[in-house]
Amino acid sequence: MSGGTITLALPSKGRLKEQAMGVLRAAGYNVREPADSRQYRASVEGMDGLEIAFLSASEIARELGAGTVDLGVTGEDLVRESLPAWDEKVAIEARLGFGRADVVVAVPDCWFDVRTMADLDDVAAHFRAGHGRRLRIATKYWRLTQEFFSQRHGIQVYRIVESLGATEGAPAAGSADVIVDITSSGSTLHANDLRVLDDGVILESEACLVANRRSLAGDKGERMGQIAASIRAMVSETA
Amino acid sequence: MALPQMLSAAEAYLEEAGARRTVLPVIQPADPFLDMAGEDLRRRIFLTESETGKALCLRPEFTIPVCLKHLQERPLEPIRYGLCAQVFRQHRDGDSEFFQAGIEDLDTEDAIAADARALADAAGLVARLRGTGEGLHITLGDQAVFAAILEALGLPGGWQMRLLRAFGQPDALANALNVLSGREAPAVTQDSRVADLLSSGDDAALVAHIEVSMAGSGISPMAGRRPEEIAARLKERAALAATRLPDDALAALERFIALRVPLAEAGRALTAFEGKAEIDVTERIELFAARIEAIRLAGIDPGTVTYDAAFGRPLDYYTGLVFEVGLEGHERPLASGGRYDRLLTLLGAERPIPGVGFVAWLDRIEVLEAGR
Repeated sequence: MSGGTITLALPSKGRLKEQAMGVLRAAGYNVREPADSRQYRASVEGMDGLEIAFLSASEIARELGAGTVDLGVTGEDLVRESLPAWDEKVAIEARLGFGRADVVVAVPDCWFDVRTMADLDDVAAHFRAGHGRRLRIATKYWRLTQEFFSQRHGIQVYRIVESLGATEGAPAAGSADVIVDITSSGSTLHANDLRVLDDGVILESEACLVANRRSLAGDKGERMGQIAASIRAMVSETA
Repeated sequence: MALPQMLSAAEAYLEEAGARRTVLPVIQPADPFLDMAGEDLRRRIFLTESETGKALCLRPEFTIPVCLKHLQERPLEPIRYGLCAQVFRQHRDGDSEFFQAGIEDLDTEDAIAADARALADAAGLVARLRGTGEGLHITLGDQAVFAAILEALGLPGGWQMRLLRAFGQPDALANALNVLSGREAPAVTQDSRVADLLSSGDDAALVAHIEVSMAGSGISPMAGRRPEEIAARLKERAALAATRLPDDALAALERFIALRVPLAEAGRALTAFEGKAEIDVTERIELFAARIEAIRLAGIDPGTVTYDAAFGRPLDYYTGLVFEVGLEGHERPLASGGRYDRLLTLLGAERPIPGVGFVAWLDRIEVLEAGR
């Protein structure tokens, strides 16, 4: 074995954790959970050079970017949002088929005249003249929002309002006019009388196996490639 | 010329040009920049926070702080502010602090003279810093010409605004033309009740329906878009959906956007365009021709200037002339400028205050000269 121990980061709790462990098990990597549930490290049966680290999904994205973990299971939305120039730092090795959710642009139902990003562009352009302020977008996805609005759709005149939770409540609370948020079934948006624009899907995200590019290019690369390949094979078999 | 000499040379040039030497604080409130230039700038400025939570940034450019200073001090006469200092912007690769020198000319009534002077000063400053004016090339555009053509074609107000907004962004403009010409046409609304109310023409019922929906969602009609506003836009969209950009208007706009001629021939080319499109924009063409003459009188050889009809800036406060001074074979401009008549109003001016200005990129000139 060359290159030392590979660290694979998994979500530390909830459904994501169970599903990630399930995928690994099906691919032949049986994670031996620590007896002490406060323990954040684990090993894999019969695999000496592989160590599991349990972290929160957003930490996993950051640590992958920094290279402190070699492989990780996390959401594509978190990778693209938390890592500037993400594709230079990490590579998506496999799409795992769970944790599916879309990052979307949603407007209040009563904005009957706004169906598309072009409509929103129109509204944003006139907003200041009518209201003395720019159109406000509540989101925790600053980077994805900027890329989608400014670079993809050429919409420049809006302001982002940082939202750390319950983004869907921002229009009713009066703290923003529209939102960019993640949704899996759309039911939370629906319950809050919000509607996704026809062309308002910014990203169709799902849980992914992600690798740090420096690790991939180094001594551990070959073994990381084998792990990724067996997970890919398992996912495509069950798909 | 090394950078320190370049800075003194630039300052000397600004003084000779009669600009008032102005020093701006490095640390600026961030909101005016984000409000005016948009969120995209957030990635590129150096943001920080005051102890009391106010968003501050390192000065990313001169125009907005100079305008704010002008509005605060309310001078009675026009002022040409001379700036020579660092600006700070983040770049993924490369430097993030740059030396710039330029002039912001605020409240000069004679727009033609002020435009010509800004262009001549930009080219003059670059030539001074390089030690030669040779090889310089100027590209010039004017959104006001495009605006006049849209009006002369008799396009609905909403379409004019939409096309003007896309001016200077080739993809966005092509896209908008596609939609307006009916090559792609989304429906106005997906709500059947709203569609019925729209076609019935009962405005009061339409507004009432929107009010009920808004109230049902717990959204205050005072906090953001009002029901009347949504109804008005629905009606405007419905009216537009019933018509489409006529083929000859579309052809004229596409012909105009493709126009790229030496400045000396620009007047003639615009007149020929006007004749073929069968519209009347003579007044605007005369103003354009008068400015060409003023540029010639200011000492610029029109042979070194190209008029690019589609050249503009994707910022809503640039309203007329824009230009770039560059060197043949080099992509990045050595100086750039333009007219921003709407900016001071957006920043809160009580009366319209015209503005035109430019900056030269001293570091770029230095790198270029060092490589010679």
